Amino acid sequence: MSASDLPRKEVTVLKGHEGAVLAARFNSDGNYCLSCGKDRTIRLWNPHRGIHIKTYKSHGREVRDVHCTPDNSKLVSCGGDRQVFYWDVSTGRVIRKFRGHDSEVNAVKFNEYSSVVVSAGYDQSLRAWDCRSHSTEPIQIVDTFSDSVMSVCLTKTEIIGGSVDGTVRTFDIRLGREIADDLGQPVNCISLSNDANCILASCLDSTLRLLDRSTGELLQEYRGHTCKSFKMDCCLTNTDAHVTGGSEDGFIYFWDLVDATVISSFRAHSSVVTSVSYHPKDNCMITASVDGTIRVWKI
Amino acid sequence: MDSDQEDFVFHGTPIEREEDHSSRKKKALAESSGNLRSLPAWKQEVRDEEGRRRLHGAFTGGFSAGYYNTVGSKEGWTPQSFTSSRKNRAEVKQQSLVNFLDEDEKAELEGRSLAASSKFDTFGFTAAEFARKQAEKENRSSRPSAIPGPVPDEIILPAAESIGIQLLKKMGWRHGHSIKDSHSSSLYEARREARRAFLSFTSDEAKPMLSTSMLAENNFEDVLDKSAEDDDKSPKITPVYMLKPKQDLHGLGYDPYKYAPEFRESKRLRTAGGRAHGQRARDNLFGLNSGNIAPGFGIGALEELDVEDEDVYGSGYDFEETLIEEAEEPAKLSIELHNNRPRLTDKEHGILAGFQLASNSDYQLERFEPPRIPKEYKPIHKFSGPLEIGSRLSDPPPLEVAPPEDSNLKVLIEGVATLVARCGKIFEDLSREKNQSNPLYSFLNGGKFYDYYSRKLWEERQKRNQTRPLLDRDDLSVSKMTAETRGRILGERPLERSSVAPISFDTHAGVKFHTNLVDTFTKPIVFNELLKVSKPFKDDPAKQERFEQFLKEKYQGGLRSTDSGGTSYMSESVRARERLDFEAAAEAIEKGQLAKSSTLNKHSMEFSVGAMQFTSGGIEDAKSVQVDELPGKILPKREEFQWRPSPILCKRFDLIDPYMGKPAPAPRIRSKLDSHFFIPDSFKASGTEEKVASRGDALPMTQSQMSENTNLVEKEPEVQMEIENVERPVDLYKAIFSDDSEDEGETSAVNKVENPEKKVEAANATLNRLMAGDFLESLGKELGLEVPPDLPPSLDKARDPLHKEVPHVNDIGNSTVSEFTKEDKSLEARELVQNLSIDGKKYASNDSLHKRSDDPSFGSVPQHDGKMRSLYDQSDSSPSEDERSRKVSKRHQYSSYSDSDSSEQRHHSSSKRRKSHSSREREKRSSRRKHSKHRKHRDKDSPERSRHRSERERDESKRDKRR
Repeated sequence: MSASDLPRKEVTVLKGHEGAVLAARFNSDGNYCLSCGKDRTIRLWNPHRGIHIKTYKSHGREVRDVHCTPDNSKLVSCGGDRQVFYWDVSTGRVIRKFRGHDSEVNAVKFNEYSSVVVSAGYDQSLRAWDCRSHSTEPIQIVDTFSDSVMSVCLTKTEIIGGSVDGTVRTFDIRLGREIADDLGQPVNCISLSNDANCILASCLDSTLRLLDRSTGELLQEYRGHTCKSFKMDCCLTNTDAHVTGGSEDGFIYFWDLVDATVISSFRAHSSVVTSVSYHPKDNCMITASVDGTIRVWKI
Repeated sequence: MDSDQEDFVFHGTPIEREEDHSSRKKKALAESSGNLRSLPAWKQEVRDEEGRRRLHGAFTGGFSAGYYNTVGSKEGWTPQSFTSSRKNRAEVKQQSLVNFLDEDEKAELEGRSLAASSKFDTFGFTAAEFARKQAEKENRSSRPSAIPGPVPDEIILPAAESIGIQLLKKMGWRHGHSIKDSHSSSLYEARREARRAFLSFTSDEAKPMLSTSMLAENNFEDVLDKSAEDDDKSPKITPVYMLKPKQDLHGLGYDPYKYAPEFRESKRLRTAGGRAHGQRARDNLFGLNSGNIAPGFGIGALEELDVEDEDVYGSGYDFEETLIEEAEEPAKLSIELHNNRPRLTDKEHGILAGFQLASNSDYQLERFEPPRIPKEYKPIHKFSGPLEIGSRLSDPPPLEVAPPEDSNLKVLIEGVATLVARCGKIFEDLSREKNQSNPLYSFLNGGKFYDYYSRKLWEERQKRNQTRPLLDRDDLSVSKMTAETRGRILGERPLERSSVAPISFDTHAGVKFHTNLVDTFTKPIVFNELLKVSKPFKDDPAKQERFEQFLKEKYQGGLRSTDSGGTSYMSESVRARERLDFEAAAEAIEKGQLAKSSTLNKHSMEFSVGAMQFTSGGIEDAKSVQVDELPGKILPKREEFQWRPSPILCKRFDLIDPYMGKPAPAPRIRSKLDSHFFIPDSFKASGTEEKVASRGDALPMTQSQMSENTNLVEKEPEVQMEIENVERPVDLYKAIFSDDSEDEGETSAVNKVENPEKKVEAANATLNRLMAGDFLESLGKELGLEVPPDLPPSLDKARDPLHKEVPHVNDIGNSTVSEFTKEDKSLEARELVQNLSIDGKKYASNDSLHKRSDDPSFGSVPQHDGKMRSLYDQSDSSPSEDERSRKVSKRHQYSSYSDSDSSEQRHHSSSKRRKSHSSREREKRSSRRKHSKHRKHRDKDSPERSRHRSERERDESKRDKRR
């Protein structure tokens, strides 16, 4: 696969957020995308047609992360107001607010069955919330991290959290084991490969690190971009052939997965690229930036 | 009415209420008909609809306030409809200003108000107003004027002067002048004269500097004088100074910095700077609170700004702020400098209204002139002693001479040489001058030991000027340098050699060399030798050289010339790193040296290994990067821990809880137990683990313990605590007290896994029973009570709980079950027991308990109780048995208790409800049951010994009290 297959052509610019957009995420089938930002709103878009569909307002402070269930019926979001909001997509109402984090909540994810929400907070903890019961108490608190947990990923049986303390911790529910991989550098964001065998961890020394999940081995390091002080996303492309991520100077980088060479890098935004999300099937990507725009990229 | 009155007896004369009333009514009617309306206002009376006079109170008008108690018109506020027909035109009321004025306003309008007459109106307010009115009147009277239409008031100003002004004018004041006394002005004149004189005295250099400002001053003063003389030409020389123009948007008198004065200055600076830069108008509030806030988003009024509200994405630095400060400082200074004089004069002139210059002030600014710099001064420091570095290097070395015998003299010579080498020739000259007569210093004047002195001097200089010792010179310098000189340089004390040294010095030079070295610095020379054999930086000759230099310096101590020529091109950091490398290398060499057993080959091996390491920190960047990466490659360190997901999480993830049925996390138990009391080791080991251990080891062990403990009362609380600490799994209760139609399978599974725990518990329980029984026995003996003989069977049972002795249990049964199932009652009973025992009535409780146990309604219980026991005490009950027992118990609960008293019924009916209760409540209940269970064990121990039980409870209650 060459550079020509990479989504480098800007198709649409989604404008609407006032101020920085902190996260942009495709939904599970890639037809829609969600974004959230400093203006305390969550917005639902159709990125392919460039249409703004809905705005979800209830957060008291900036919204840092948002995630959608596979059936597109529910949303979960979190942010600076220390709460996790559980939304109904169609009505735009908040079904539940999960309070319990002692500080800002950095990331949030649904599990496979959309029955549990796992949130990662600045209070050095991961918390699991039950969506089925009416209890607003967390059903699990993981507080083995020694610094702010920046990112969380879920598989069918595991909860994976990346923290500023430099560790990526995998909590295997089936085995009852916690596996801590110490990278030695603050971990900004983690993302799973599509085959779920590897973790891509974005570290604050401007390096993306690819870890083998079974052995904890460092497979590859990707450098070239700048990532020193902001929470920025990284991800693998839908084919797992490339690694992509933003840079603090507004560039987007593509690396070859295997030989870690920068295949392509181009200026996408005028400011920090906070979030990248790759379409689950097509060669399409959305990026969000501090400049308040979300851009849709295709081949 | 009359019929009513007939029943009463009246005393005195009745008040004629009816008549009064009716007459008033009539009166009111008459009024309303308008009879009285013709009366003037002050004669009119205000009455209510019943005709009574309405009293409003002394301050609100008495009886005649208002116009019929209305708004002052006959109509009042009653709504009116506007009707106007062709025949009957509605009158268009012409409203004038007068209609809307109050009485006093009207009076004022008419000019009837009391005011200062124009004659005495100093400030002319009233006069001005009056004049204006006058003008208005004139205007109104439609006199033809030049300006058509109404003339604005501003144009027509009355030319009325107040009496004050007139007085002042009489006194010589003229318009536009400040009011000052002649005394102050004369003072001012005198001062000006003095200043002029002073200026004329100042030196010629200073004059041009000040001349400009002086000129300005003079001009200014001249202008002043002139204007004072003829003020008709420049009538307004007292300008009105607006000291603080109001530029903000606050209300008048509002001071935003009232409670935070420290911000005022910064604000002022900022605004000043902002004006200077023509930008930067930031909101006050936010600017004050925190530096960077994302544009556009505020937060709620009830929230305070926090760290997280700062705009992290904004352009990181406040450039403007710093710029301003930089720009501000010099500007201010220059203004200060330039305006110094004029400002002073301004102040002296008494420009501040209402302030006078103090004739004599305590404060006097003392100014000192800067020190005068001599004309020939050049800001370069020259050392008078000549620098002899270059010349000395080329000098041929003087011959080596043997030192003088006299050690004192030798020391002196060497000392002088060192000093001279260090401080230059001037010291030599000085000391020569000083010690002209002193024979000791003859060596300075070419005396006996001059050769030795010159040699020493040369050596010292060599040493000092060593810029780049080459390899060939190495031997020389090292051999020539004596230990003493080095030691002296280092400030070391010369070793005692008064007896030895002279002898050795007399001998051959080579011998001397040896002894000297051996004396103090054994190591360096050996190292130097070693170095020749093995060089750690072979691949980099320059570096090797530096290393050798470093080594030499290191072992020489003291004079470490860091900027030796070779390293000058290196940066500071690189040098520092290299230095570290060298240190490490030297250490390695030293180690190698110390481990003498190793051969030379080994040495070289070590060094070669070392070389790998030492070259790493070198200048080459690529290498260092590699080194940096080395730990990185190792870094993803993997560690594994145990982690316990909560059961509900597992359920939600559709996974089987890996810790299902296992005891609660170990650390919690440990902490709980350890913090409270000490447990025998065997217990700790068996507590959380297999039942085999607890049954096999703990039991015999505790029995042996028991034999020791029989009379030890203080051991008892320990056991007691254990009983309480045994956790009862919640599911067990669920299994018993809930109808298991829905979660049958689940609970059974749970029960299956929970077996080990139960077994442990059972073991504990048996142990407790044993201990308790034993204790009771001993207690009974002490108190002289009869001890029931059925201890052996209980012991038996404890030893082998598998053999359930049903008849025996049956015996026990009654009281147990009664207490267990009717927990309320049992609790009540226990309270009763405690109360009673506290009161000292030992046996009362006994009776009550007996009564309860003898209650016929519990007749059918025994079998059930046995099953219950099997549930709790049976150590190795199989799940099926467990299940069965539970079912049986259920059946019994419903069958056998159906005819029991109502409290029983209530209990069972409530069980269903309880299930739906929150877990917390369940816990609470279970804890209560724990108590009851606790009791049950005790009861079982001594079924017939309720007396003893009460004894024990008394004891327990005492203990409780103590606690």
